[in-house]
Amino acid sequence: MSLATPDLDHDLRLDESATADIPWQTVVWNDPVNLMSYVVRVFRQYFGYSLDRATQLMLAVHHDGHAIVAEGAREQMELHAQAMHDYGLWATVRKAPAA
Amino acid sequence: MSGVVLDLTRIEVAQLIDLVGQFAELVDGAPSMEDPAIERLTPDVYPDDAEASREFRAVTRSDLLRRRASDARAVLEGLPRDAQDPSDDAFAPVEITLDPEHVEAWLRTLAALRLVVASRLGIVTEEDGYDPEDPRYGVYEWLGYRLESLIQAADAF
Repeated sequence: MSLATPDLDHDLRLDESATADIPWQTVVWNDPVNLMSYVVRVFRQYFGYSLDRATQLMLAVHHDGHAIVAEGAREQMELHAQAMHDYGLWATVRKAPAA
Repeated sequence: MSGVVLDLTRIEVAQLIDLVGQFAELVDGAPSMEDPAIERLTPDVYPDDAEASREFRAVTRSDLLRRRASDARAVLEGLPRDAQDPSDDAFAPVEITLDPEHVEAWLRTLAALRLVVASRLGIVTEEDGYDPEDPRYGVYEWLGYRLESLIQAADAF
């Protein structure tokens, strides 16, 4: 037991730093159906973003075809995507592209 | 003010009862069936990884559709049934007051219902045309108008 512990700790630290280095993203995509005012409201309600931030993100979705609405651990990004789907928004999850 | 007020007419209430009822039946149905509208409500979360998408969907789809059905039922419960009486004036006003919790159910339901109607009309991408003569297009436009006015009322509340 005492012999195994340091190795386990070491592995755990390695894993944590590995996932922290590669964040995941929740991406919302443009669609012709959802109203702009609705998308802004969803970003404000769900993420708690300010009106300005939510509006910028909505405009990015509209003009660029998509916007990254959140970044972090994969499981968290999946929860966000699911919440976006609950609102009828088209959301996907992806690994952040290498900088 | 005790809630968000929605000013409808009797004919709109009857229309909503019909559409939201159909929507509830759709999302309550067998989720395994291939239906573009259901696909739109539960989109691929990993478009480049079919296997990961399938796994995610297997875990989340039935819950998501259950929440849509539950939202739809909350909307239906808030719609007065007597407004359906055809002998009354179709354009008589019907005032509906929504508490904050119901506002979210209404917003999600109207948005999802619009996605379903859009899917039936073939409006999926920005490039898709539509037939303005299709009576469903009128329904689609009207749902957009009602959703927009509900958002404005909710934002002002």
